[in-house]
Amino acid sequence: MQAINSNTQARSVNLPWRLIVGLGVILLLIIISYIRSPQITTAVLSSTLRQSTPIILGALAGIFCERSGVVNIGIEGMMLMSAYMGFMFNVWTGNLLLAIVGTLLVGALIGAFHALMSITLKVDQVIGGTVINILATGLTGYFYQQGLTTSGKLQTITIPVLSDLPIVGPVLFTNPPITYAAIFLVVIVHLVLFKTRWGLRTRAVGEHPAAADTVGIRVNFVRYVNVIIGGMFAALAGAFLTLEAVGTFERGMTNGRGFVSLAVMIFGKWTPFGSWGGALLFGFANGVQTQIQFLQSQLPSWLAWLGQIPNQFIGMLPYLLTIIVLAGFVGRSRGPAASGKVYSKE
Amino acid sequence: MRKSFLGALLAALLLPILVACGGSSTPAAEPTSAPVAAEPTAAPAAEPTEAPAAEPTEAPAAEPTEEVAAEPTEAPAAGGAPTDDSNCADEAVLCVGLVTDVGRVDDKSFNQSAWEGVKAAEAELGAYVDYIETAAAQDYANNIMLFAEKNYDIIVTVGFALAEATAEAGEEYPNIKFIGVDQFHDGSQENVVGLIFNEDRAGYLAGALAASMSQSGTIAAVLGTDLVPAVVAFKEGYENGAKAINPDITVISTYHPGGFASGFTDPEWGATTAKQAIDQGADVVFGAGGNTGNGALIEVAGNEGKYCIGVDSDQWETVPEAHSCLISSAMKLITPGVTELIKAAKDGNFPSGVYYGDVGLAPFHDFDSVIPAEVKAKLDEINAGLADGSIDTGYVPAN
Amino acid sequence: MERVEAQAPKPPNKSNWISSYLFPALYAAIVPVMAVIVALIIGAIIIALSGSNPLVAYKELLIGAVGSPRAIQRTLERATPLIFGGLALTLAFKAGLFNIGAQGQLILGAILAGWIGYIFTDLPAIVHIPLALAIGALVGALYGAIPGFLKAYSGAHEVIVTIMLNYIAGNLTDYLSNGPWKDRARGNVVARTPKIAESAEIPSLGDILPFDISILNNIPLGAVLAGLVAIFVWWLINKSTLGFEMRTVGENPHAAQYAGISVKRITIIAMLLSGLLAGLGGAVETLGVNGRFEPGTNAGLGFNAITIALLARVHPIGVIPAALLIGMMQAGGALMQFNAKVAIEIIDIVQALILFFVAADILIRKMLRMRKSEGGLNLSGGWGGS
Repeated sequence: MQAINSNTQARSVNLPWRLIVGLGVILLLIIISYIRSPQITTAVLSSTLRQSTPIILGALAGIFCERSGVVNIGIEGMMLMSAYMGFMFNVWTGNLLLAIVGTLLVGALIGAFHALMSITLKVDQVIGGTVINILATGLTGYFYQQGLTTSGKLQTITIPVLSDLPIVGPVLFTNPPITYAAIFLVVIVHLVLFKTRWGLRTRAVGEHPAAADTVGIRVNFVRYVNVIIGGMFAALAGAFLTLEAVGTFERGMTNGRGFVSLAVMIFGKWTPFGSWGGALLFGFANGVQTQIQFLQSQLPSWLAWLGQIPNQFIGMLPYLLTIIVLAGFVGRSRGPAASGKVYSKE
Repeated sequence: MRKSFLGALLAALLLPILVACGGSSTPAAEPTSAPVAAEPTAAPAAEPTEAPAAEPTEAPAAEPTEEVAAEPTEAPAAGGAPTDDSNCADEAVLCVGLVTDVGRVDDKSFNQSAWEGVKAAEAELGAYVDYIETAAAQDYANNIMLFAEKNYDIIVTVGFALAEATAEAGEEYPNIKFIGVDQFHDGSQENVVGLIFNEDRAGYLAGALAASMSQSGTIAAVLGTDLVPAVVAFKEGYENGAKAINPDITVISTYHPGGFASGFTDPEWGATTAKQAIDQGADVVFGAGGNTGNGALIEVAGNEGKYCIGVDSDQWETVPEAHSCLISSAMKLITPGVTELIKAAKDGNFPSGVYYGDVGLAPFHDFDSVIPAEVKAKLDEINAGLADGSIDTGYVPAN
Repeated sequence: MERVEAQAPKPPNKSNWISSYLFPALYAAIVPVMAVIVALIIGAIIIALSGSNPLVAYKELLIGAVGSPRAIQRTLERATPLIFGGLALTLAFKAGLFNIGAQGQLILGAILAGWIGYIFTDLPAIVHIPLALAIGALVGALYGAIPGFLKAYSGAHEVIVTIMLNYIAGNLTDYLSNGPWKDRARGNVVARTPKIAESAEIPSLGDILPFDISILNNIPLGAVLAGLVAIFVWWLINKSTLGFEMRTVGENPHAAQYAGISVKRITIIAMLLSGLLAGLGGAVETLGVNGRFEPGTNAGLGFNAITIALLARVHPIGVIPAALLIGMMQAGGALMQFNAKVAIEIIDIVQALILFFVAADILIRKMLRMRKSEGGLNLSGGWGGS
């Protein structure tokens, strides 16, 4: 228990030199790119942040569940279901704030359902997640209706002064609310997980529930709460899609973002900042693949061969990059030891 | 104690979800009577068809949750029209069935447009009409057969993917007329016709309009997957049309990389891609790719002073969220095309091989006053040139 | 379940097989059967709430699934790739691996089999079919081995790698079927490979049997193969040394290491075999049903395979009824939608409910006052630790 705990602490506190060098290189590349074309750099970076938002929210959902020992492969379904309900709340109430509150409640309900399955009913957690995924596709498709309109979606909030800064301004300080919230939540989840009693309990329950139990932590209570919070994070990702980014609901509109979230969470070794890095990498690769297609028609002649690459190969970029970075630089990811295991006092 | 807690929790969890969802199915939400009836030729006819469905006099069907069941019993407009498909073998009874491509009949895209064409035939000809939604590609032949074995007179199949199954069914059922939307048929079968479109021409007009309206000299296209030939045709036409107006214009365009799996169903990708284009100076965005393209249109609508152009049908009707930017749509008129072919089949002058449906730009709606008269004149000129062959869109269909 | 499995390999006592296999099998079937019934009842309530007649809907579903020889054939055609996919997942689960990548392995197997199917035009069927199947399986195996290899040597989690490889396989097959391997027949504009040669088409049972029994005529040979493979996988997992090693690694990799089993080797082999099964499923689908590869036709098969494996409670033989059940729903869904006007998604809802009640067997057991199961299924246990 002791050893495991110090291990997780170390993972989150000590920045390895490789990370610092990596960040430095990325920063340098951004500056060079900005000097060459400020507009395109800004466009790609904005797209990076936007595409990473639902992914990181989904990953945070996963972190809450799995850090307390409950595997969640139902993030996709949670996102889809709450995207649908968020949209419906917006249609019914016409009030975005109420819609978000409603979405979070739905997320909490789905989270509670997952907790009920995983903890009380002792359903295998992979199955529980799969049930949620299929159920979400079925229910949202079955009750989908066309032609609904809403009074609008969340608008961009421009932060005075800061938004006038070059690159940083348009990329970081000219965003709609859930995007801001996602950035804050990365920091907050990190603090909660590693600096609070609740976080310590959560990790203890996820790593070694029996030991946690002996020191008086109510294992299943901690798990219930965390899985419900996780559901609310997934709901925020769903709300991002229907209340902020697009404004309408379509069948299957999550398109695998929940599964990518899952991958990103493991990629980030179950830490908020690591997952954020993974989400940003993924968003960046997506932005770049779009940009390459944009530029294909206007390449200088010595680069004309780039224009010949079929877009299916360019489209592989985010996925290949994730695998390469994972296998080459991130390496072994070890989840919370008790993740996926039902705990019951004997 | 534990047991009751468990039961209560289960009920507390499942019921609200079910109730919330069930309650949402208000009668106004009839999938097929969506606000899309304003296709030029369908408009007068569509009016009466929808009325009876909305009226509460349809007593047994008046439950608020009635949604799907209302479909078959919906009273057709013409008097004495059949109410079920049991008499389709009868000479006097015209039955028209529609098989969708994988997807739903209310997809705001080609399935829906074709179904509206069939609905228009229901209203105008007093036909009995029904549809079947294909869930997987393995079902194409079987779904066509479901209609054929009930002796439907005309079967409409939607999408190029059904071409083979349609041709085979045409062999097997020589007495049934088949209309294949977006399908090439070689004319060897007298009872099979493919309704196809020169999408490149519609794209060319859209490109010309975009280039004329662009202040920045950069225009964009956000597209579905290039696995679908129509999407490629729209894109190539768009780029060449824009270059014809302004040879120096920069056209940035991108296909969704996800193929069929997500190419047409990813509105957030469309939106963020449109944003990326706007951020680098594009001020007119062409969204062509089902819900992916619709996402792009909605995104553009949130950016003041930018224009967007829709695709397939007049998207003023299908994407009201985009009213603040939608200057027009590059249309392929599936709805009237299907209706015309059904009429031709009924009147005994059914064509075979391929039948070219109309393409063109949708009305400018609110932007009618914004678009300069000389631009409109130029578009008319291009339209005429495309029709008489003096203008070539430069699109070569890949085979 | 794992624990039960571990003690299960007793030598089969021939005189006593009824009590040692049949009764337990029947007993084990009570919970799934009840789960299906309860799920159908809840599904019926949803159908009724939305204004349709659930009895009509289920009747049409059943007719569409098994109401005619043609319907049965369609059900079997649907179930076949699901059996292969379910087996792929099952085998990986036994070794403690979650192969979300069955989808990617399956479509690569499907397109390669289609390619072999059309480039050779003068091979006898007895050579052509096995060759195409073998190549499809081989490609699936190699593609499955990638995440196994990466997991063994760099520690990259197979769940991430297989999710990413699914997208890559999708893009690759899109490219091939719309580029170099596109069907250039006149009039074709569609992204798809050419029709396979007749010698590559997997026949029905009726085509090869020397005698004529009408009910057997329509049974696709691919389905028969799937059944045989299921039995082989059962043998492999439960009776072979390799299977023992895989199960040991799956239950406790550390213990396996101490016992002298190379966890790396087993990880790679398990993923390779899992990919092989998925690839074979894709190949059978192309050669037996679709006749060519066309992007999108196999959509979702790999994910359905997860459902199948879980529904079967990760038992290779259980995969067969699970796949048949889902295959029935898929085959009958069209008729249900057509004649009863019920949206097709009700099938997803019922599937999810079945899975829920099978997994939450506490509920069913309480209802039937059955005794508690000995140790639940635990797949997710190997997820974090190790």
